[in-house]
Amino acid sequence: MISNQAKKEIDIWVAKYPEGRQSSAVMQALTIVQKENGGSLNNELKQDVADYLEMPTISVQEVATFYENYNNKPVGKNVIRFCHNISCMLNGSDELISYLEEKLDVKTGEISKDGLVSVKKVECLCACVGGPMCQIGDQYYENLTKKRIDEILDGLK
Amino acid sequence: MNNICLKSIDKDNPSSLATYETMGGYKVWHKILHGELSPEKILEELKISGLRGRGGAGFPTSLKWSFMPRNQEGQKYVVCNSDEGEPGTCHDRDILRFNPHSVIEGMAIAGYVMNATVGYNYIRGEFMEPYYRFEEALKEAYDAGLLGTNIKGSQVCFALYSNLGAGAYICGEETALLESLEGKKGQPRFKPPFPANVGLYGKPTTINNTESFASVPEILSRGGQWFADLGVVNSGGTKCFSVTGNVKNPANFEIPMGTPFSDLLKLAGGLRKGRALKGVIPGGSSTPLIPAAKAMKMTMDYDSIEKAGSMLGAGSVIVMDDTTCMVKALTRLAHFYYDESCGQCTPCREGTGWMYRVLKRIMDGQGKSEDLELLLSVQDKMLGNTICALADGAAMPIESFIRHFREEFEYYIKHGKSMVENDG
Amino acid sequence: MVDIEIEIDGKVVHGHSGENLISIADREGIDIPRFCYHKTLSVAANCRMCLVDIEGNPTPQPACSTLSSAGMKVHTNNEKAKTAQKACMEFLLINQPLDCPICDQGCECELQDVAMEYGSNVSRFNEGKRIVDDKGIGALIQTDMTRCIHCTRCVRFGAEVAGIVEMGATGRGEDLKIEPFLSEGIQSELSGNMIDVCPVGALTSKPFRYEVRSWQMNSIQTIARHDLVGSNIFTQTHKSKVKRVVARDNENINETWISDRDRFSYQGVNNENRVLIPKIKIKGEWQDTSWDDALDFATNGIKKHAKEGSQFGTLASKNATLEELYLLQKFTRGLGSDNLDYRLDVSNPYNAKVLESNISLTELETIDHALIVNSYLRLEQPMINHRIRKATLNGASVSTINAKAFDFNYRVSHSVLTSPQNTVATLSGILKALLDKGSQTLPDYLNTVTVHQSHIDIANALLNAKHPVVVLGEHVNGNTCSDQVAKLVSEIAKASDAKTLNASLTGNTHSAERVNFKPDNGKNALQILSSDLTAFALFDVYPNFDCIDSENAIKHLSRDDAFVVVMNSFDDESVSSFANVILPIASFYETSGTHINVDNIAQSYSASVKSAGESKPGWKVIKVLADLLNLQGFDFTDSSQIADEALSLTPSISEIEVPINNSEMPNVTTVWQYTPYASDVVVRHASSLQQTRIGQMSEASVCKATAKLLELSEGDFYKGVPVNINESVAEGCVFVHTHLPRQLGVV
Repeated sequence: MISNQAKKEIDIWVAKYPEGRQSSAVMQALTIVQKENGGSLNNELKQDVADYLEMPTISVQEVATFYENYNNKPVGKNVIRFCHNISCMLNGSDELISYLEEKLDVKTGEISKDGLVSVKKVECLCACVGGPMCQIGDQYYENLTKKRIDEILDGLK
Repeated sequence: MNNICLKSIDKDNPSSLATYETMGGYKVWHKILHGELSPEKILEELKISGLRGRGGAGFPTSLKWSFMPRNQEGQKYVVCNSDEGEPGTCHDRDILRFNPHSVIEGMAIAGYVMNATVGYNYIRGEFMEPYYRFEEALKEAYDAGLLGTNIKGSQVCFALYSNLGAGAYICGEETALLESLEGKKGQPRFKPPFPANVGLYGKPTTINNTESFASVPEILSRGGQWFADLGVVNSGGTKCFSVTGNVKNPANFEIPMGTPFSDLLKLAGGLRKGRALKGVIPGGSSTPLIPAAKAMKMTMDYDSIEKAGSMLGAGSVIVMDDTTCMVKALTRLAHFYYDESCGQCTPCREGTGWMYRVLKRIMDGQGKSEDLELLLSVQDKMLGNTICALADGAAMPIESFIRHFREEFEYYIKHGKSMVENDG
Repeated sequence: MVDIEIEIDGKVVHGHSGENLISIADREGIDIPRFCYHKTLSVAANCRMCLVDIEGNPTPQPACSTLSSAGMKVHTNNEKAKTAQKACMEFLLINQPLDCPICDQGCECELQDVAMEYGSNVSRFNEGKRIVDDKGIGALIQTDMTRCIHCTRCVRFGAEVAGIVEMGATGRGEDLKIEPFLSEGIQSELSGNMIDVCPVGALTSKPFRYEVRSWQMNSIQTIARHDLVGSNIFTQTHKSKVKRVVARDNENINETWISDRDRFSYQGVNNENRVLIPKIKIKGEWQDTSWDDALDFATNGIKKHAKEGSQFGTLASKNATLEELYLLQKFTRGLGSDNLDYRLDVSNPYNAKVLESNISLTELETIDHALIVNSYLRLEQPMINHRIRKATLNGASVSTINAKAFDFNYRVSHSVLTSPQNTVATLSGILKALLDKGSQTLPDYLNTVTVHQSHIDIANALLNAKHPVVVLGEHVNGNTCSDQVAKLVSEIAKASDAKTLNASLTGNTHSAERVNFKPDNGKNALQILSSDLTAFALFDVYPNFDCIDSENAIKHLSRDDAFVVVMNSFDDESVSSFANVILPIASFYETSGTHINVDNIAQSYSASVKSAGESKPGWKVIKVLADLLNLQGFDFTDSSQIADEALSLTPSISEIEVPINNSEMPNVTTVWQYTPYASDVVVRHASSLQQTRIGQMSEASVCKATAKLLELSEGDFYKGVPVNINESVAEGCVFVHTHLPRQLGVV
C-alpha cells in the first residue's frame, strides 16, 4: 500500500504535467515508494503505483527494470553506489572498491551481514573532477581515499 | 576564464537570485518582457554568436530554434537536457549548482522565441544536490514574478518545471529523454519525425543542453559578436571543459574556444610528477582517442580536434598518462556501453555485449590472435546502422584505441597480462 | 496524398508521398528482409534488418520508417545495403540458441528464411550466449524467450490490436526481456495471434508443442464456426487429425486475426469424449450397435411415437451447418410437424425480423459511436468487438447498457447499469428522449415513461454521431421481454439514424434463419420442451448447457412416453439419461458445410479430416433417416447440392407487431452467461482453453442490496456458482458468468 504521505508527494509531481499525463510522474512515484520501503521495490508496490497512476502494470515494471536507481530486490539500509568508470578508474577507484568490499566483508551486489550496507558498482556519476567518488542516498562523496571511506562507514547508521 | 556559465562559481551564495542579478542576470529577460527584444533579433544575435549545441552534437543553436513552428497553434515545449552522463563530463553539474538562474533565464528566453509556454529541465536522477539548488532557484524566480502567466504584466507566459531521471545514460539522447519525460523507458525514437514537429507528448519541442541555455543570456546581453570573438572560426565563444584523469588538479574550466590543449593541461596542474602523456580523449568517452603527440598540437575547438582525428563532443577531456593500461581502459569503456545500451535495436544490443565479452576474455588472459580484427569488424558493423548514436559512441573507442595502441593489445593477447607495469 | 514516383533497384515504381518504402516495395514484389515490421502494427524500426541504401544518405536507412518522397532512389541489395543487412543478421544470430531441430517454428520461421540469404555458414561468436529464463504466460502460448529477437511485435499487438497492455520489454540492453508482469497468463481473448506474429520460435502454441513438424501437415482452408463472423482459418492436419489451427487472411471478415476460441477449439474435436459408435437403449441399458440397426431403431421409434406429425419436435444446435439445418427442417416439415427451433437458450423467442443487422464488418470500423446493449461483446464476439475497437482508435465513442459493468478494451463514455426487468423502461426512456429531441410525436406507450438524465446522455451521444450503430448482445436471451427489447433497439436506431447489429444469437444463426428453422405456427423450443410431444429429434443439443430451463428440459425428455432420437458428436451423461438412440455425427472440421455470417456472407468449406470413429457427417445421417421414412426431396449425393438449394431460398419477410407493455417480471432476475469457452460443445472440450482465466471464470455477481434481499453472503453459492458481492452489478439482478452447466432450473 502506498502511504498517504507518499501519495501527497506523488501528487506534487503529477501537477507538473498536463492533464491526463500523470504517467509522467511514474519515475518519481517509484523513487518515493522505494524510499519508504527501505530502498527496494516489490510487485505489490509496483501494482499500487500502476493503479494510482492508471497505467498498465507492465509499463511500470518496464520503468522499474530499466533505470539504475531502482532496486527490485532488497538492499542494505545504505546503498553505496561507487563509480568505476574511466576517470575514477584512472584515479584508483578499483583499489578503493576492493578495500570497501574487504572492510565490509561483502561483494558488490550483496548486503552486509548486519543489513546496514550494500555496495553497487555504477557507471559515470558525472562528478569526475572529484573522483574517485561514490553516492549514498542523495549525497555525493568525492575525492575518496581509504581514510575517507573509513570515516564515511563510521558515520553510517 | 569562467566568465559566462561558471561566472558565479567563486562568489558567496553563488546560486542565489541576488547574486545572479548583481552579475547582470535577468536584464535580457526584462527587456523581453518590456517588448524591447524581438524573437527575430534574438535568433540573429545567436546566429552571429556561433553558439553550437554544447551537449555534444554541436548543432548551431540559432538554426535549431528556427526549426520550431512558432506560429503553429497549440502547445509547444522547451526542454533542457541536464542528463549529463558522458563519462568524463561534470560541468553541467556545476552550472546547475552554482548558476541555475542562467539556465532558467536561458530557457525562458528560448520559450519566448519559440512560443513555447512550458519548459522542463530534465536533471539526471543522481544529481540531487543540483536538483535541490535548481528547485530553490526556481522558487526564487517564481516568487520574484519572473515566471508564470502574463509575467510582470506582459503577454509573455512561461512555466518551468524540473524533472528527475532515474539512472540511464541513454536518456541524454534527446528523443530518449522525451520518452522518459513521458513516463516510459528511455528508448530513443527514430527520426524523422524530429522533435520540432513531434516532440514531448507529440507536440513541437526543442531540446538543448544545460550549457547551451546557460550561455544564452550573456550572449544576448553582451552581443553575439562579442561571444563569437572570444573563440575562433566555426567555434564561437567559450566552452566548459571538464579535465579529469591523470592530472594533478582535475576541475572544470570555462575557456575560450581555440585555447591550446597544452594550456588547458597546465590549468589542470599538468601531469603527475615523472609521468608522460600517453593519450587524450577530448570530448567524452564516445569520441575517438588521440595519441599524445597529436593532442599536444591541437587547440580546443571543433575544427582542430576534428583534424586531430576526434570530436569536441561534450568537452570532457580525459587525460591518460603512461601508467594507463589501454586494454583495461578500453574494457572499462566497453562495459559502460554494454551496460547502458537501451537494448532496442539489434546492432547495439548484441554488438556492445559481444565487444565487451571479447575484451573481458582478453583481460582474463584468454585472448586470441583474431580478436583484434574481430573487434574492429564488429564495431564497423555497428556504426551508422542504429536508431541513435550510442552504438557509434561504443564503436569509436574500440576503433581508436586499437588503432593507436595495437601493440598493447597484441601483447596482452600473447602474454595474458598488461604491457604496462603499473596500470593505474 | 500525392502520387509520386520513386526508383527502387533501378525500377520506377509508384507510391503516395509519405508512404513508407517497405510497403511500396511489398506492393511491387521487391524483397526487403524484415522482422519487426508488420503491416497491421505501428512501425518500430528496431530490428534494423530492412536497412537499404538511399542515394544522398551517408548511412543506410530502414525501409520501414523511411517515408518516400518524389525522386528518391533506393537500392535494396547493392553492396552497401547488403553489408548492413548481413551485419544485422550476424548480430541477431550471435545470442540465438539455434535449436531449430527441436523448435516448433522450424520451417515456418522468418529467422530461418532470412538467415538463408543473409546469414553466414559459420559463426564468429565464440563467447557465452545469454540465456533467458521463461515466465509462463498461460495455457495457450508456450514461451522460449531465449529465441526472442526483441522485435516487439507481440508487445505492439497486445497494445494496438488486442487493446490490453500485458506484454512489455523489461530490463535494458542485452537483458531486455519480453514478458508480462506476473505469470498468471495473458488475458486477452485474441492472445493466440501473438503466436502468428512472432517471427521466431519464442512464442509458439502450447497445445501444439512437439506434436508434429510443420512440413508433415496438410493445410486446409476452412471456416471457424463458433461465432457470427466465420473467421477464415487453416486447419493443419496429420494422419487425419487436426493438429493446429492458424489464421487465414480475409480483409473483409477477420483481417489477419482469429480469436483464441477459433484457434484452440480443435482440441475439443480430438477429445476422447466423442460419440464414436451408434447406440440404442434397450430396457434402460445402452448397447453399441451397427448403423443399420440404429437407424432402423430410430425410424421405428419415430413412427411408433408420433402417429401424427404434430406429435414430433426437433431441436438443433445453432452451430449446425447450413446443410444440416436445411435438411432437418425439411425432415421435420416432411413429417408434417411445425415444431422445430434452434433458439434453445431464449426465454421468449422472438422473430429475428424485429431487429436485423444492417452494418457490415468493414463498415463497423467507420462508426463514430456505438451503443452496446446487453452484451459483453469482447468475449461474445471478439472479432466484431475488434472492429469497434478500431473505430474507437479513430475517435469513436461507446456507450453501454448492461446489467454489469464489464472490462472492455476501449473506453466507455456512458455506462448505464440496468437489470433485465428494467431494460424496457430504460430503452423506452432513451427512445422518448430521442423523439422529444426531434420533436416527433410519441407513440402511446411512451406517454407514461420517465426520462432520466442518463437516458438523455445516451440519446445525445447517438444524435451527435454521424455514423452510429446499436448492438444487441446475448444477455437479452434470458429476458422474458426480449422481443420488446429488440423492438425498442430497432426504434432507437430508426430515431437516431443508426445502423443495427443483432448479436443476440451466435454461431450459424443466420443459416437457421435463412432456412426458417423456426415454427411458423407450431411450437417453439420452450413449448417443445413443455408440451405433450412424444417424439423428438435432437441435433447436437446438450440440454444441461444449451437449454434455458435445463432441468425442466431434461425432465420432459425423460418421460416414459417420449422417444428421443439424438444425433450428437459428444457423449453426455444427462443426454444418455433421456435418449433412446444416439447416432454419432461428425464434429467441426470433420464435415463439409456452410456458415452464413452476420454480413450474410455464405462461406462453404469441405471436411479437413475424416470423422472420428464411426461418426458420420450430420447431413448424411438426416438424409438416410429421411429416406428410411420415405420422405421426398432428399436425393443428395453431395453437401454442396444441399447448400445450393438452401441458399436459393429467400427467407420470409413477415413483419410482426411487438407491443411494448413492459410485462411483469420478478423483482430479482438472473442473467446467465457462459464464458466464451463454454459457449458450445466443441470448445467446452478444448482443455487448454478451459485452463485459461477466461475459461475458469465462475462468479455470481450481485450488489449488496440485492444480496441482502436474497440472503446471500460472500462464500455462498447461487445456482451452484460462487457468489461475489460487488457494486458493478445493477440492483435487482444476479449476473452469473460461468463455465458450469445450467443444471438448476430456469434462470
